[in-house]
Amino acid sequence: MTEPEQALARARASVESMRAAGAYRDDLAGFRIEPADVVGVPQLIEWALIEPDAANLYSTRRLGAPITFIKRLLLRGLRQYLGEIIAQQTRFNIHLTAYVNQLTERVEALERGAPSPPQPPQSPDAVDGA
Amino acid sequence: MVVHQLLSAAGPVDAVTGQARAYRHAFEAWGWGGSDHAALIDPRMGRWIKPLEKLEAGPDDILLLHYSAYAPRLRPLLALPNRKLLVSHNITPARYLWPYEPVVAVYCSVGREQLPDFVRSVDVAAGVSEYNVAELAAAGARTTAVVPIVFEPPTAVSGNGSSAAAARAATEPPTILFVGRLTPHKRHDLLLRAFALYRRHRAPDARLRLVGEPLSPAYAGAVRELADQLAPGAVTIEGGITPAALWERYRHADAFLSMSEHEGFCIPLLEAFSFAVPVIARPVGGIPEVAGDAALLCEDEDLAVLAELLELAVSDRELRDDLSVRAARRLAAYAPERALDSLREAVLAAAGG
Repeated sequence: MTEPEQALARARASVESMRAAGAYRDDLAGFRIEPADVVGVPQLIEWALIEPDAANLYSTRRLGAPITFIKRLLLRGLRQYLGEIIAQQTRFNIHLTAYVNQLTERVEALERGAPSPPQPPQSPDAVDGA
Repeated sequence: MVVHQLLSAAGPVDAVTGQARAYRHAFEAWGWGGSDHAALIDPRMGRWIKPLEKLEAGPDDILLLHYSAYAPRLRPLLALPNRKLLVSHNITPARYLWPYEPVVAVYCSVGREQLPDFVRSVDVAAGVSEYNVAELAAAGARTTAVVPIVFEPPTAVSGNGSSAAAARAATEPPTILFVGRLTPHKRHDLLLRAFALYRRHRAPDARLRLVGEPLSPAYAGAVRELADQLAPGAVTIEGGITPAALWERYRHADAFLSMSEHEGFCIPLLEAFSFAVPVIARPVGGIPEVAGDAALLCEDEDLAVLAELLELAVSDRELRDDLSVRAARRLAAYAPERALDSLREAVLAAAGG
C-alpha cells in the first residue's frame, strides 16, 4: 500500500529504476506551449496575412441553421467588398511588420555595436517636415 | 437588502455567469432583491440577465461586480456612489495567450493592469481563493475576503463516491480524464506527453479524455495533432457536453490528471472528488488550498514521474480508497452553504454592516 504522502517518492524511485533498465527514454517531439510576453516577428508575419475562416460564421442559437444560412448568404453577397477590405488591411499589416522587422534588426545591430543595416525608408511627409 | 450583480459578459457555459446565477438564487433565498446585468449577453441566455443600460440602482443598493478580464463597460460604474463588492475570478496571465490568441491576451493583460483601479474603488474585494485574495491585496485592496466558488456536487453521486468507483469495471482499460478549457495555460501539451509515457511504459490500452471548450479552432487543431502523433486513437477531445454527460466522464475515469500552470480555484478538482476519482495535479495557484491533502501534487519537470503517479493512482486500490476518504473531507470543506456564508459576510461587509 502507498500512503498519498509517499506516492511521489515512490514514483520518483520507480522512474529511476526503470530508466536504469532502459525505459522512459522517449523522444516526445511536437507542439509545445511557449509562454511569451511578446510575440516574435515570424508570428507577426504569419498573422499579417488575413484569412478569415467562413466556417466560423454561424449562429449559436439552438435552431440557428436558417440564421447561419442567411449570414453566409450575406457573406457571399459582400465577398467583393470584404475582399477589398481584407486586401487593404493585409497590405498595411505586411508593411508594418516589415517595418518593425527592420527596426528590430537596426536596434540589435546598434546594441552589438556593429554597423547598422540601412534605415527604413521614411515617408515623403516625414522628409518634407524634417 | 438589494444587490445588483454586474458582469462584462454573460453566456450559458460561462463559469462566471454560473456563479452569478448561484448568487442570485441565494439572494432570493435570503429575501434580498436586485437584478443582474451584463454588458454583452449571449443570445442563448434567458431573461434573468438584463443589459447593463437597464441598471436602476437606488442609493442604498449594493453593486456586486464580477471581474475576470478587461471590463471597460463596468469601469464607469465605479464612479457611482453605491457601496460596492468586487468578486475577482482570477485573470489568466497574458504570457500564455500572446502567441495563440492575442485579442484575448489584450483583455487579460489590460484586465490585470486595471485591477488596482477596481479594487481601490470598491469597499470589499473578494477572491475565490486565498491565492486570488493575495493578488487583490497586492493590487491595493483595502478590505479583502475569500468567497470560494459555489460548487453544487452532482446529485447522482451519493456518499463518498463509492457508487461511482463501483461503476468502473476492473476489466476496462484505464481512462485518464482532464476537464478544463483547451487553453495554453492548462498545458495540454504536457498532459498528452505524460499520458503518452504512461501508455508506452505502463498501460498500452489506456485512454485519455479531454473535456473542454477550445480557445480557438486553430489551438484545438494543434492539440488534436499532438494527440494523434503521441497516442494515436487513444485520445478523445470533447466540448459543449451536457452536465449529465460530464458526470458520466467522471464516473468512468480512473484518474484525473491536470498539468495546468495557472488556476484561481479549479472546480474540476471538486468534481473529481465527487466521483472518488484520484487527482494528480501541479501545485499551482489555488490548487494546493482546494486540493488539500486529497490529491497527489507534483511539480517535477520529469513527465515520467507523472506517468508513474498515474500508474499508482490507477492500480493501488488502497491509495485510491485513502484519497477518496480525504476527497470527501475536501468536499465538506467546500460545501455550497459554507461558500454562501462567505458570500453573505462579504456582501454585509461591503454594505458596512
